[in-house]
Amino acid sequence: MTIAASDIKSRPVYQPLSPEAAATRHWLVLEAAAQDADACRALVQAFAPVQPALQVWSVGPLTLDGLPVAVLADTAALAPQLAQAGPFRVSDRLYVQGTEPFIWSVAALAAAAGLAAEQVQLAHAGSLRRRVWCTHCHGFTEGVTTSTVPCAGCGRHLLVRDHFSRRHGAFMGVMVDAEAPGQRPAVQEVFP
Amino acid sequence: MIVSSLKLRVAAVDDIAPSLRHLRLEAADGAPLPPTGAGAHVLLSLPGAARTHRNAYSLTNPPGTRSGYDVIVRRVPASRGGSAAVHERLKVGDLLDAQTPGNLFAPVRGARHHLMIAGGIGITPFLSYLQDAGVRQTGATLHVCCRESEKDVFKPWLPDGADVRFHWDADGHRLDIAALLAAQPVGTHLYVCGPSDLNDAVIRAAEAAGWPASQVHTEHFGVASAGGSAFEAVLRKSGLRVRVGEDESLLEAIERAGVAAPCLCRGGACGVCVTPVLEGDPEHHDHYLSADEKAAGRLIMPCVSRARSPQLVLDL
Repeated sequence: MTIAASDIKSRPVYQPLSPEAAATRHWLVLEAAAQDADACRALVQAFAPVQPALQVWSVGPLTLDGLPVAVLADTAALAPQLAQAGPFRVSDRLYVQGTEPFIWSVAALAAAAGLAAEQVQLAHAGSLRRRVWCTHCHGFTEGVTTSTVPCAGCGRHLLVRDHFSRRHGAFMGVMVDAEAPGQRPAVQEVFP
Repeated sequence: MIVSSLKLRVAAVDDIAPSLRHLRLEAADGAPLPPTGAGAHVLLSLPGAARTHRNAYSLTNPPGTRSGYDVIVRRVPASRGGSAAVHERLKVGDLLDAQTPGNLFAPVRGARHHLMIAGGIGITPFLSYLQDAGVRQTGATLHVCCRESEKDVFKPWLPDGADVRFHWDADGHRLDIAALLAAQPVGTHLYVCGPSDLNDAVIRAAEAAGWPASQVHTEHFGVASAGGSAFEAVLRKSGLRVRVGEDESLLEAIERAGVAAPCLCRGGACGVCVTPVLEGDPEHHDHYLSADEKAAGRLIMPCVSRARSPQLVLDL
């Protein structure tokens, strides 16, 4: 899936991962379910030059040709894994590929570990599904693929906007029938 | 009212080494001075033999001090007059014109550690860093590269408990920049102040070690503004023609002609003196303009840059 162009300028734009030769240690963090055969081939090719200094972690089972992969059960397992790998140095780099909720969850963990934004590369792969942040109850609704969605926190029907928060790794959701209660547009599958 | 200039009185002069002179400066009227932060500098007008020199000096007093400013001035052998004026003529009680201090080299508050590298008198901005409560709380290490004979000169200026290491040019005492930079933990910000050779070497080493550019900071000092070939500057708006001598900067020549050009650092760093070029071929020595802007040749920083062509026409 490729992300459609947005009118919202703040919307993140992703580039294919590209290891930096000057860095001394590299970590590649992948969401297994988001990678297809082409994506895996491209990763193997891109990261071969830094392989001696590379560690690959995958959330979910994944095999990469010629690159040893440490498999983690879920995203929650990344926090202790990062803590164990640290303390990180200024010359380290982290590369993350997966759905937007995944890559921004890892970005938040990396920031908490002290890594600067310039030390972390993010690339989108797989589903376009979104994490949605409710402007009314501030709750999160995960895995949203539709244009409107009932909020997992307060039950309001939310219109999923293109406004993206890097801090939350989530898109803004606003009540869709606030002006005319009960009048809601047809639910469309727009983030497959 | 915003005060942009200060009248300072020399309150104390002492030689801390054969070529290093400390000045204590207080407000001529005894009023409190504007407080400054770590890394700030003050631009002093120093009366020379032939003309007035305007030089920027880092403030070494603790951040926030209002009773006086401290500066340390090295006597430069090839002095164009500024440091010679301080070392030969300045005495207690003299009055000096100064500009309200500026700061182009403040410590980054979000840093997890501050790593400083000084070359010789480039230690001066870091003397105020080491007295900054935020910097001390975060943690800071200062590496000083200097002559062996001067390694003890700055000791009385260092706060108790500060992590300061001295290096000099002898086996076992040189600073291994590459090894130092390779080992730094995430969130470390690097600051370097010294001669351009040291600054360039540290910046290159940081790039080679994979440092994000936003975590590397530098302050240049020294002789970048010293002369070159003489040329003529035509000031279109003022209708003046100014000869820029071999040993003076374009900015100094403009000031000599009586045109008050805005400036702050006089070292090609701050961008305050940027001036449009109408005709001629500028020779850029600043650290402010981008590579594209330098190539376009439509802007110049007259504090450090000069002309390749015999004449430069400025929109001034």
